[in-house]
Amino acid sequence: MAIIENERPATVPPTRRAGGTSGLRSWYADRRGRGAVEVTALFVLLQIGCVVFALKYPKSFAYLDKANIGVMSQSIPWLAMLAIGSAVVMMVGELDLSIAMAMGMCEMVFVTWYSHGHSAWISGAVAITLGIVIALINAIIINVTKIASFIATLGMASFWWGAQQWYVGGDGVAPRIPSEKVSKSLETVFRASLWHGLRGQMIWLVIVTVLMAVLIHRHRIGNHIFAVGGNESAARSISINPNRVRLIAFIMLGTLVGLAAVLKGVQEKTLIPGTGVGYELEAITAAVIGGTALRGGKGSVLGAVLGVGFLKTFQAISLLTRLDAFYYKVYVGLMIIIFAITNQFFERRAK
Amino acid sequence: MSTLLELRNITKRYGPMVAVDNVSLAIDEGEIVGLLGDNGAGKSTLVKIMSGVIEASSGDYLWRGDRIAKPTRALTEHLGLETIFQDSALVDKLSISRNIFMGREITNALGLMKIKDMDRISSHILDSVVTIEGIRSPRQLVGSLSGGQKQAVAIARAVHFKRTVLILDEPTSALAVRATEALLAFLVQLKSEGVSSVLVTHNLHHAFKVCDRHIVMNHGEVILDARRDETSVEELTAAVVEGTIGLERHRAGV
Repeated sequence: MAIIENERPATVPPTRRAGGTSGLRSWYADRRGRGAVEVTALFVLLQIGCVVFALKYPKSFAYLDKANIGVMSQSIPWLAMLAIGSAVVMMVGELDLSIAMAMGMCEMVFVTWYSHGHSAWISGAVAITLGIVIALINAIIINVTKIASFIATLGMASFWWGAQQWYVGGDGVAPRIPSEKVSKSLETVFRASLWHGLRGQMIWLVIVTVLMAVLIHRHRIGNHIFAVGGNESAARSISINPNRVRLIAFIMLGTLVGLAAVLKGVQEKTLIPGTGVGYELEAITAAVIGGTALRGGKGSVLGAVLGVGFLKTFQAISLLTRLDAFYYKVYVGLMIIIFAITNQFFERRAK
Repeated sequence: MSTLLELRNITKRYGPMVAVDNVSLAIDEGEIVGLLGDNGAGKSTLVKIMSGVIEASSGDYLWRGDRIAKPTRALTEHLGLETIFQDSALVDKLSISRNIFMGREITNALGLMKIKDMDRISSHILDSVVTIEGIRSPRQLVGSLSGGQKQAVAIARAVHFKRTVLILDEPTSALAVRATEALLAFLVQLKSEGVSSVLVTHNLHHAFKVCDRHIVMNHGEVILDARRDETSVEELTAAVVEGTIGLERHRAGV
């Protein structure tokens, strides 16, 4: 039987059907408009530009210096984990504005437990469990009440901000891991000096990125996440349970928030309650740069990581060229708008 | 021929509004049933009840003679009921192949999708079951397809998973003329393979061409349930357009 589509014959010549057309072109045709390819290309161009400048003007633009690579390889991983988590939740059609304060809470708990003499494993496990519990609370509120997720999580952000202050007690003294208590193995596991300033956090990021990319882009659950985010009633009509899928997406986010909190806790060893306002927006910005649609159904794990790469590369540029700090905020603001527009453009082109 | 799906005295209320009023009907094995009626006659609500998307306020749902207390979507899918909704229930932002296998992905033991297998089978379905022109590859996004192509993908999905009853909600509304002809011919072919179809439409001519039985709804009630040889396009038209009055007038020969 032939269902013949004669509505737009001019734009869809039947010759395109002939399968094995030029490999690269059809490879791109299958992937364009989904975010990852475009952002990867731009990211590579940006890095080439920075490296060329750094080689030409090593004195005034020390991009390849040990110090810069050290700073970047410590500031990218934890934010990238938040960005991956945000992207996953955005793919399922929700938004979580509480992740910065949730991460702060987890970090607070990790630092406190560790400085009280618990092992790093126990402290880390408690922090990650707390991250999952916080995300589960968000998911349950959204699933049960059906209120908009950004409202629910906006409320929870304020809640966990207050909870951090309550946790440290009235005097507000930030918990701190005394340097003599930091075990060498903990440092090695989480932030070993690898090579030329590169830090061990990057290894964690690579592991998490690969795992999440497999889960989202290769595993059945990833397909369900995109289905629920893309067309919830369609997903339901073929008996995918949207509430269950949302719950799983939030569990993924919570795990990543907890892990990010541990990384950052080991890195900084102290935390003033309530710091980190705006991390959630940076994470969402990175996800959008990476091609994740705010309305759900589309996105890329690698894209979110490269999105953080974009933000942090500009931060490095502004530090190295001694631009004022506010330029970074201006840049983050502009990036979210520019990339939202370009992603929409590529998506329309793909249609 | 045995009865597959039977509804007895099904009523669905939304507050004070009665969308479906005391409807009883049966769908036999290897039968094409036309569910006709004007907009707002209650067809879509009835379809949703049949497929388990919404629950009836009262009445019985029977499958092969057994009463089913709570016909959920998961259960009706398990029974082999597939509904192709007006909006075709596809996800625009996913590829054709991922749509065809949505919720029934081919995976290994770890749950990782065998994407190459899914693509290969999708290609095969699109080439052999329904030939759709203008589709480049199974990895193409569904959002880039036209209405007719989307409809065809939804049908291909239903057919591939060997359904026993296919419910098509206004399938011809988005199709071009030749595509409609092909679709109707396809339903006849499926019938010969023992697959029943419920064709929900307000296009009487499409329905009369292929349906073995016609059920006309009006204001939530079934006002006519007749085999093809017991009725005519004229009678169906009168029933759809003017309801019970039209039906009586037609029978009186006025």
